[in-house]
Amino acid sequence: MHGHGKSESDGVSSRKIGDRRRQITGAAVTRRAALRQLGVLLAGIGAACTPARILLKAYPQEFEENPEAADRALRAFVGTVIPGAPMDGPNLVRVYHAPFFRFAPYAFYFVADLYQRAANMFGVERFDALGVTERTRVIEAGLDADSTTRKLYTGAIFLAQISFYAGVFDDDSGCPLIDFEGRYRLRPLAELRYPNPGEYLAGERTLDGNFS
Amino acid sequence: MRTTKTDVLIVGSGFGAAAPALRLSRAGFQVMMIEKGPNIDAPGDFRQTQDPRYLLRYLKSFAGDNVSLTYAEALGGGSGFYEMVTLRAPSLVFEQVDKGGRRLWPSSIDRSTLDPYYDIAEEMLEVEQIRADEVPKTGLAFSRMMKNLGLSCDRARYSVKGCVGSGFCVTGCIYGAKRSLHMNYLPQSVTAGATVRTDLEAINIRTLCEVRRTASGGNLGSVPFRYEILCRSTTGSREWSRIQARLLVLAGGTVGTVGLLLRSRSHLHFLSRQLGKNISFNGSVKAAGVLPEGFPEGDMFSGRSHPGMISYHFLESHGVTIAAGKPLPLQAVAAARLKLDGDGREPSYWGEANVKLMKIYRRRVVVLMALGLTPSTAEIGLRNGKPHLHLGLDADVRDYYKRTKRLLDSIMERNGCRLLDATFIDMEGAPRRDLYFSTAHQVGACRMAESVDQGVVNVDGQVFGYPGMYVSDGAAIPSSLAVNSALTILANAERVASAIRGRYMPAHSGARPAVVTASH
Repeated sequence: MHGHGKSESDGVSSRKIGDRRRQITGAAVTRRAALRQLGVLLAGIGAACTPARILLKAYPQEFEENPEAADRALRAFVGTVIPGAPMDGPNLVRVYHAPFFRFAPYAFYFVADLYQRAANMFGVERFDALGVTERTRVIEAGLDADSTTRKLYTGAIFLAQISFYAGVFDDDSGCPLIDFEGRYRLRPLAELRYPNPGEYLAGERTLDGNFS
Repeated sequence: MRTTKTDVLIVGSGFGAAAPALRLSRAGFQVMMIEKGPNIDAPGDFRQTQDPRYLLRYLKSFAGDNVSLTYAEALGGGSGFYEMVTLRAPSLVFEQVDKGGRRLWPSSIDRSTLDPYYDIAEEMLEVEQIRADEVPKTGLAFSRMMKNLGLSCDRARYSVKGCVGSGFCVTGCIYGAKRSLHMNYLPQSVTAGATVRTDLEAINIRTLCEVRRTASGGNLGSVPFRYEILCRSTTGSREWSRIQARLLVLAGGTVGTVGLLLRSRSHLHFLSRQLGKNISFNGSVKAAGVLPEGFPEGDMFSGRSHPGMISYHFLESHGVTIAAGKPLPLQAVAAARLKLDGDGREPSYWGEANVKLMKIYRRRVVVLMALGLTPSTAEIGLRNGKPHLHLGLDADVRDYYKRTKRLLDSIMERNGCRLLDATFIDMEGAPRRDLYFSTAHQVGACRMAESVDQGVVNVDGQVFGYPGMYVSDGAAIPSSLAVNSALTILANAERVASAIRGRYMPAHSGARPAVVTASH
């Protein structure tokens, strides 16, 4: 079990945690309704309807007041989904706040859910204070929850993966973890090919590539 | 509302539109081309990126029941973003029949009919077979797999000059090597007098007279302005306008053309009941595996996107061609959850197991893709006033998928590959529950046929019941092709353009469309 961190440096006080729990409990119906709308949200990157007003009333206020706490939780989340991702990467959690991806209205709500599950499952206030095994279990619990919560977690994993592996926010760097260099730098053509192609080529059925 | 008059209006700017635009403007017709998507100043506007904000500006997806169609919405249509593999449809494609034994293509059209137009299209696109020493590593690894099993594999043909192998063909070639329509047909059409307007969507079509009594040939000057297209700007103030034309060529792509005609149905009472039906999806089936130790590596991230090789070995026996795929990270991760088959570790599609797989993705993973002669059974109709796409998963389709997947898996297994389990996902990242096809090779919906009860357009591409209205894009193609559809669409569009030129003479030459302002 990891530390029960709730110092001022965490940015989330005991009183606020208590408030947050009451908010989550008290706002259960609103929360469910809000999450139901998430399907519409994630259905696309092209979907139009964003039930932001509903959700803005549902997430714990303290994460908006202290975005550093949310940032730490989101980084811990991505680090659990993609072990080996550089935790201090400037773009690691940017996808959750970029308007185009439409997760931003739900980001603090998602963080609140991570906190709540960390507290319920391990008695730890902060998701990011858990070890990787515990964090993995928290995420699995989110994926096993009701269908709307599952959509939230599924979407968060999906966005983490496309953002990180594809280097969405950094064309120049790509994703070093998987040897994706991003934008192409001209290289000698010989590096892209094998020097002895005849050894690889199978028999051909056509004279020019067009099958008659 | 502003009204513009032109002799010929072409809706769309992709492979189906480019040939009529060039041939008719060169023949002296007054031609206007409109495109819903944005202008592209190629190659300067292209980017090497995986940023969805860039890609979705140009590439659209139309998802439906059990199938999704990807298409481009930009000047030049898909030509800016396709993998530039440019192949003729094999002869047996034209001999396909439906369940009732009826030939899908009109009896007068076969490969030999299209060959002269393929010649023209290939020359325009500067198509050449890839040289052996140009084949990228992934293509050679795939060819080695086929060779190991005694199977044939051919070097494919591409529309490219001076390829540098960046691997970003599908985001647009920033080097100007890909011979997209921006390099040939479109500028030549403008030089010949055609006007091009982008960011303008055709909303619907109505007739201005009893069109069935108007001439279907002769001097175009004696033909009245018979079609009026209501348009709306897609940018700025989204202003409305009208364009009146004597000849109308619909070439907005399979999805665009059928959508426009469906929206116009209340004005076009004689349209065939086949409108929206008979859509082919080219039977795209994918399988993935990990190359065994000691096998030559591929490279997912460099070399042209379509890596040089295609196998026709199973075309006659299984109705499929096979090639290797090179999905960039975004395309791979957004399409499927990958895990090693038999790997019991959980979680499988994220966490340690997934990262381990992604680390070897670039050089050790191989993706095989089959394109096949699947039946033309998908449909687009209106549901609550909006287009709805449906593909029924009947026993034939399921059997085709199972047989083809088994074939791809067996090629990998017999080469010692470890199979990857790929669960395809939707745009939320959630797994698909049932079989799901995705393609960018959709054709049909307004298929050409010998009679109105069988199709929407005749063998010349003219819409049954509507003289002077033509469909020249993929919507008119009656069957799956088992190869990329671009060259066949372009060749058929050349044929349709030739038929129009054979029927009509230009009213005048060198004149620009007249702009008439009318009060409304």
